[in-house]
Amino acid sequence: MVTLDVRPQLLDALSALRDRVAAARFPLPLAGAPRARANRDELLAQLDDYLMPRLKEPEAPLLAVIGGSTGAGKSTLLNSLVGRRVSEAGVLRPTTRTPVLVCHPEDHHWFSGPRILPELTRVWVPHQDPGDDLLLPGENPARVLRIETADTLPPGLALLDAPDIDSLVAGNRVLAAELLCAADIWVMVTTAARYADAVPWHLLRTAKEYDATLVTVLDRVPHQVVSEVSRQYAALLTKAGLGDVPRFTVPELPESAWGGGLLPATAVAPLRSWLVQRAQDPAARQDAMARTAHGLLDSLKSRMPELASAAAAQYAAALRLTAAVDGAYDSEHARVRGRLQAGAVLAGDALKRWRAFPLDCTARELLDALTESLAALLLCAVTAADERVDEAWRHEPAAHTPELTGRGISPARAEHRIGMAVRRWRRELEEYAEEEVREVDRSVAPDPEVVAALVATALLGGRRARPAGEGLAERIGAHGALRLRDRGGRLLSEYVDGVVHRERERRLASLDALDIHPEPQAELIAALSVLQKER
Amino acid sequence: MSAVTDQDPTEHTGRPKGTARGDDRRADRSPGEHGHRGEPAAATAPGRRDPRREREQERERVYARGGDARGTDGAPSRRGERAGHGDREERDRPRGTPSEGADCADAWDDGLIARRASETDGGQQLPGVSRPAPCAPDAPPLAYDGPLRARLDALRELVGLSRTRLDNGTLAEAGRVLDEAGARRRLSGRHTVVALAGATGSGKSQLFNALAGVTISETGVRRPTTAAPIACSWSDGAAGLLDRLGIPGRLRRRPLQYPDVEAQLRGLVLVDLPDHDSAAVQHREQVDRILALVDAVIWVVDPEKYADALLHERYLRPMAGHAEVMFVVLNQIDRLPGEAADQVLDDLRRLLDEDGVALGEYGEPGANVLALSALTGDGVAELREALGQFVAERGAPARRIAADVDGAAGRLRPVYVTGRRAGLSEEAREEFADRLADAVGATAAGEAAERAWLRNAGRACGTPWLRLWRWYLDRREPPTGRLPLRVQADEEATARQRVEQAVRIVADRASAGLPVPWAQAVREAAVRGAQGLPEALDELVATAGLPPGRPPRPGWWPVAVFAQACMTLVQVVGGLWLLGQIIGFMSPNLGVPVLLMLSGIIGGPVIEWSCRMAARGPARRYGQEAERRLREAAAGCGRARVLDAVAAELLRYREVREQYGRVTGAGAR
Repeated sequence: MVTLDVRPQLLDALSALRDRVAAARFPLPLAGAPRARANRDELLAQLDDYLMPRLKEPEAPLLAVIGGSTGAGKSTLLNSLVGRRVSEAGVLRPTTRTPVLVCHPEDHHWFSGPRILPELTRVWVPHQDPGDDLLLPGENPARVLRIETADTLPPGLALLDAPDIDSLVAGNRVLAAELLCAADIWVMVTTAARYADAVPWHLLRTAKEYDATLVTVLDRVPHQVVSEVSRQYAALLTKAGLGDVPRFTVPELPESAWGGGLLPATAVAPLRSWLVQRAQDPAARQDAMARTAHGLLDSLKSRMPELASAAAAQYAAALRLTAAVDGAYDSEHARVRGRLQAGAVLAGDALKRWRAFPLDCTARELLDALTESLAALLLCAVTAADERVDEAWRHEPAAHTPELTGRGISPARAEHRIGMAVRRWRRELEEYAEEEVREVDRSVAPDPEVVAALVATALLGGRRARPAGEGLAERIGAHGALRLRDRGGRLLSEYVDGVVHRERERRLASLDALDIHPEPQAELIAALSVLQKER
Repeated sequence: MSAVTDQDPTEHTGRPKGTARGDDRRADRSPGEHGHRGEPAAATAPGRRDPRREREQERERVYARGGDARGTDGAPSRRGERAGHGDREERDRPRGTPSEGADCADAWDDGLIARRASETDGGQQLPGVSRPAPCAPDAPPLAYDGPLRARLDALRELVGLSRTRLDNGTLAEAGRVLDEAGARRRLSGRHTVVALAGATGSGKSQLFNALAGVTISETGVRRPTTAAPIACSWSDGAAGLLDRLGIPGRLRRRPLQYPDVEAQLRGLVLVDLPDHDSAAVQHREQVDRILALVDAVIWVVDPEKYADALLHERYLRPMAGHAEVMFVVLNQIDRLPGEAADQVLDDLRRLLDEDGVALGEYGEPGANVLALSALTGDGVAELREALGQFVAERGAPARRIAADVDGAAGRLRPVYVTGRRAGLSEEAREEFADRLADAVGATAAGEAAERAWLRNAGRACGTPWLRLWRWYLDRREPPTGRLPLRVQADEEATARQRVEQAVRIVADRASAGLPVPWAQAVREAAVRGAQGLPEALDELVATAGLPPGRPPRPGWWPVAVFAQACMTLVQVVGGLWLLGQIIGFMSPNLGVPVLLMLSGIIGGPVIEWSCRMAARGPARRYGQEAERRLREAAAGCGRARVLDAVAAELLRYREVREQYGRVTGAGAR
């Protein structure tokens, strides 16, 4: 006999755990991510719709959810249990698109509020006209829960007719799973034609894993083969380790056929009495409830680490992506520095200008050419780094998400930003040159622009620009020249570092926006351990 | 589990017959010859043999060509072997529709209920069924019609052309289609292999028995009932086809002999499949394997299961292209009251329509949808009639292969077609040339040359006094720019970064509209071409630039210099004359000497100015010439090394694209 004693600490621990689970995100498209997302949603649904409300209010009516494949006769079964047509049954599949909850009128208040399944809109229909168009205009049929009351049901028991678990309508499948999550008692309906289908068996295995209170109904059994089929079904159940699950057989009767009337009360009597006993006998009720609740609590032991490891995998993938970006930008940065040292900027146009300077070229033109060449060098480095990142990310499954593949950097924008930075560097260099020139006490002060051009050439031209350094020393003195080159060099490396750093940040921004951190993993495990302690 | 144990004894009991037959065949054959050429097809169709052999040889050539590119990978080369010795390969591919299966498993993995399916999937493999040698078809082999043959050839060509660019996984399905098309072509063309597929309990076996007129396949309430496929052929000569399906001799049957039925369904080979939706995973694997090989499928659904997601998402949607070789049969209508059967049938039609399956209504080609009851025999006659007509047309195998080709082409579409225009535009080429010119500094060089020319002209034609002044200035000012050591040739005159960027941009432009693998290839070609480009440009700059030293001197300079000298002389003469008058040495006559001096003083600068004006044009021409020479040399170098490589790659893509068009049939029809 399992009992359910609830302490406030347990509830606190559970709600903390629930928040952690709700906060877990799996944005990167890793192999396990869809699974982890589904697990998270499912766990959240179970916590929100079942465990928390059940622990808070153990006196609420038991909820039995009738689930099964399409065409298994769930609605007919529900109608027969209730004794009148509450849920539409029919020959066209899928029949039930709107889940229907049936309870005793006294229990109505338990289900009309947002205690369980808060995200389903409630529709309450008076007795008279079931089967009419029940949907409010503009309402998504999948997100509506119809509530019916019936005096034939004992108080303390509610039945819910879920959509088919293998529906062609994907939304129905999700909804069916969500509804099952809210159940105290899982009623699995299958048929003589279906009892070996793979899909219901997956569900049965899930129920076993969560140790939920489970009943199976073998429906639509043609009566000449009742004993044979039910024997085989029992054998299959035993083989799956579900031998002790209560099993009910409902024969195929002309009435059951395809949406007709209700099955005679005798056909569903054993199931009905079993359910009624659960609801009315306090011990049986306690047992059914506690078993599902404890099963769920126990399942957390394996499910939380699974979520945590998925979170860790996300973080690891994010780290790998970041490392790819860092690696690419670092190596390009090193290359830029090497080329600056080698004087790669003083090439092409700039070199031609320098050769013509000062006879056929003004200082301004030389400076222009140099800044342009420097910008080209930086742009080349940045785009090369970007290309390497793309290449590296192409081999990472985690990077195949629209957030990351939609390129953060458009070359034109990068060119613009780099151009701005280089021009700012040039302006500051010119200011330095003016300062130096002002300090020179000579009769004919050298033109500050020429000085700026010379120092830029000396900084960017490497070995090739040695004459520029000499010229500079002649104009403003060896000491001043050294000082100016020093300051200019510091300024240059500052700007180059800044540009590379900024572009790297820009590239990483899309990844940062996904907000993947190492904490969720630890937090999930921590919440679980707190819960374990409180149980 | 039970299926495996069923299967194994089947194998053993089936073996003696099969191997004995295979050995006979092998004994007939000379050792070096391939299996399928040993078949006595020549007896029935001697004229058709030669082209077939040619195609096979070509096919082997294609594989041999592809073989070195994928030497390490086992699977494709095994396939290559199969192309050669089609009879001896192992059937180790459990799933007939590999990509579809994988996709759908993913799509299905969406919740509490379904997600455990993937855990049990694929764990157990079908035990390998080795196939006996195809026996002599006494029926003539299948012949595809012209357009289909052309499309198959085009697909083969396409696979060959793409081997180096695409990975084997992408091409696997196309290869499979080719293999199956080849394998089917060698087998009987008079028969149509039709499979009965459906969920467990839908009554496949019942329908099978109803069509055969005799209880062949076991029916029962035990689910799943049928564990291994059973075949029934209405006329002789289908052994090769059944060998291909891997159905052992033990499970091959003949229908009950009624003369009228016999005539109606002549050529039909019906295969009863296991279910596809039970918990027994091996059944599904068998179904998938055989569905990929048969000519047509009858989907058997029942009122309870006709809307199962598994059926629609895993089978009907991916096979929507095969609608023309598809029957969808709603069984068990005896269980439905009144007009409900029509309602369900309509709903089934609607669902099929949503799946994208074309329905064969109003004489249009598409799937045939029928309602029947195998139990009561209601509607079976209609199915029999439709089947008889279908089989008599003998078009199913070709239509199935055509649908396969369509499917393979559709899946390959993203790697061949983007729907955007691709190519290297004229602007992109020009921009590339401009960027290379920038990299070698053509503009700056041109300007420098122009200014140097002007400067020289000014110096040459200036007044001597000005030259004296300049000379004096030069002596005072420290020499900075004109140090001769700067003119030495240095190693990296070309801006590497600009070249790199230019290549990157032109590659991006060229690959803009291409599918990913081809875009990658274009980029690689550009980068490969760009290796050594900066060094080549360095050399060009050294050789293609203007000849070093002073710019050429035009013929009118000496005249200008002479005129300047004359002016100076006039000035001097005027001055001396004036001086002579002042000191009284000469008779005073102020007018002439002052005039002389003035004309000299004014005339010198005037000549200098006009010379400069006159020099401007030639100077500009000189500079432009210098720029042009550099620019053209750089552009030529870039074209030869990069643009040509890129254009070649684009041409290869275009070729493949055209081939793809031929495969889809756009080019052929």
